[in-house]
Amino acid sequence: MGTVHARSLDPLPMQGPELGVHADDIETPDMEQESKQEVLENKDVIVQHVHIDGLGRTKEDCLTYEIAGVFRAKNLIDVMKRAHEARQKLLRLGIFRQVEVVIDTSQGVDALPNGLDVTFEVTELRRMTGSYNTMVGNNEGSMVLGLKLPNVFGRAEKLTFQFSYGTKETSYGLSFFKPQPGHFERNFAVNFYKVTGQFPWSSLRETDRGVSTEFSFPLWKTNHTLKWEGVWRELGCLARTASFAVREESGHSLKSSLSHAMVIDTRNSTILPRRGALLKINQELAGYTGGDASFLKEDFELQFNKRLFWDSVLSASLWGGCLLPIGDKPTCIADRFYLGGPTSVRGFSMYSIGPQSEGDYLGGEVYWAGAVHLYTPLPFRPGKGGFGDLFRTHFFLNAGNLCNLNYGDGPRAHLSKLAECIRWSYGAGIVLRLGNIARLELNYCIPMGVQSGDRICDGVQFGAGIRFL
Amino acid sequence: MSLAAEAFVSQIAAAEPWPENATLYQPLREDQILLSDCASSLAVQAYLRMCNLPVHVSCRSNAEYMSPSGKVPFVHVGNQVVSELGPIVQFTKAKGHSLSDGLDDVQRAEMKAYMELVNNMLLTAELYIQWCDDTTATEISRPRYSSPYSWPLNQILAYQKQWEVRRKMNAIGWAGKSLEQVYEDVSQCCQALSQRLGTQPYFFNKQPTELDALVFGHLFTILTTRLTSDELGEKIKSYSNLLAFCRRIEQSYFEDSQAGSSSRGYSKGPSLF
Repeated sequence: MGTVHARSLDPLPMQGPELGVHADDIETPDMEQESKQEVLENKDVIVQHVHIDGLGRTKEDCLTYEIAGVFRAKNLIDVMKRAHEARQKLLRLGIFRQVEVVIDTSQGVDALPNGLDVTFEVTELRRMTGSYNTMVGNNEGSMVLGLKLPNVFGRAEKLTFQFSYGTKETSYGLSFFKPQPGHFERNFAVNFYKVTGQFPWSSLRETDRGVSTEFSFPLWKTNHTLKWEGVWRELGCLARTASFAVREESGHSLKSSLSHAMVIDTRNSTILPRRGALLKINQELAGYTGGDASFLKEDFELQFNKRLFWDSVLSASLWGGCLLPIGDKPTCIADRFYLGGPTSVRGFSMYSIGPQSEGDYLGGEVYWAGAVHLYTPLPFRPGKGGFGDLFRTHFFLNAGNLCNLNYGDGPRAHLSKLAECIRWSYGAGIVLRLGNIARLELNYCIPMGVQSGDRICDGVQFGAGIRFL
Repeated sequence: MSLAAEAFVSQIAAAEPWPENATLYQPLREDQILLSDCASSLAVQAYLRMCNLPVHVSCRSNAEYMSPSGKVPFVHVGNQVVSELGPIVQFTKAKGHSLSDGLDDVQRAEMKAYMELVNNMLLTAELYIQWCDDTTATEISRPRYSSPYSWPLNQILAYQKQWEVRRKMNAIGWAGKSLEQVYEDVSQCCQALSQRLGTQPYFFNKQPTELDALVFGHLFTILTTRLTSDELGEKIKSYSNLLAFCRRIEQSYFEDSQAGSSSRGYSKGPSLF
């Protein structure tokens, strides 16, 4: 049996495309050593057994879905390709530290002459991992403790707990995540949390204690999330000097809402994409399942990216949303939309556009915002191919508007209200990508369309965010 | 707020006259307000009426949380927000309205002592009966306190409040008292007040002071509120001069304006006599 050379394949390389190259490389030295050697590349093989070694608490049944593809392989290249795919799937479960693949000829009594055994050698993550860090910011220091139990019940369930103890606020979150075996994207999560936010632009403090359950699933090219959330919200004034309009909103309320989110994302990267588009639609219906707050909230986000000459990218985004109260109660300050700041309409201070009372911004019931960016590499491209690629320069023009709906007026009046008194600004700056989750921006902004009551940021503005216009 | 800032604010406050649109905020009168809050609110209303300062009464289910000190009532005057009787008295004084200017230092000290007595005895007794007497808490306080909220928030908030009051009772040593002992304390407090009042129309003879407003607020509310047992009211009813005192203030400060303008917002449930 001249299949010994397959052995030298382990461990499989991390990157997929290199696989084929390896297979070819291996042929040459082995051919010289053994004259009986056969070229297996195009020869039919049968995968007889697939083993997973190193399993402790992981239940095997949920892994069979992930490795099932390997059995369907018809030749050696196919085996390697499929084994690699299976390896990626196993790693994606987030329960193994390491997965190695060994492909060998079948042994034993029932071994076929062209039979192969594939063995996945896995190392499980520890039962419990912990983290500890301290954070300083917002005139507050805090200590964050995190506990993670990957694979609690052996089927890739994940339990995470985070506790943050700060000089001003304490918050915590406990979440349980369970994917459907074989369909990792179809998953279910339950969260319990308490979070406290301070919003100086509104002189508002909000403490939320809540429970949410969500179910995510892919459908054709889209990803959907259905969610129920029950939150006990406690609003209060940040200072004695808070405006009376904010003071009136103080107190407790209960929101129980059903929401649906749909995402289509064809971008190549979430932070500095070169091509592709994003569409996010979010809708929330509160009040039908109990609670004090009843409203219907619609919200969308759209982004297109087009690659131009010299590595520059043209990007256009549009956001919009509206909040309709159901019943006689007016909308709550915590549910309304806010606009402005270094990651939305640049050139304005954080959430400082639209209706306000005594300097406290109250938010609006309907808004839109749009932006056009031209991203280019840094001038003269310092650090090309390395650190420099984390940076981009950009030129932007962004605009938006935020207002309240007066429900007697009808849709035409609302549209004209949104079209007049538009806030807009333009400028240029530098963008730094932080990993694949956030970005920092340092911009020089020139606000143009400014309405009375808006707080502007004329000149240099610095911002960080995970969602940006 | 720092002392300097507070002083500055009171300076500004002094410069502005009492506006027409001053508003007093309290919990919902029909469904929500409890004996102790109602008493405190009535005391402030009586005080402002004695000062002849117009105030519009607004009922809000979140009044307690709107208040800067977390206690009701509070007044919104101009752009100032002031809560509870003591600070409100200070605030009106800064604006040049005071009821105790005619008193000498000894009388003022005496007035303060009696106000402390009322707050420590009557107010604490009201809180005790509301939240530490299980029958009252179950039948009246918890359902009323939580009436604006939906399940399960109503349960959470009511028990949270009860727990808070019980912790306070523990701290001041009232937790071990029985209901009879509390009634006895109320009785003693009334006796002290009755003796001090004697045959005078007000505690300091002809002119009402903030002490009169405070005593009226508590006694009138206890007399006109139906609880699970009448015993608290009965304790007061045995002091005829206190009853006459309540009636006098009701007639001089509440009945005339009630007929005149309903916009004053005073429509206390049952009248005393």
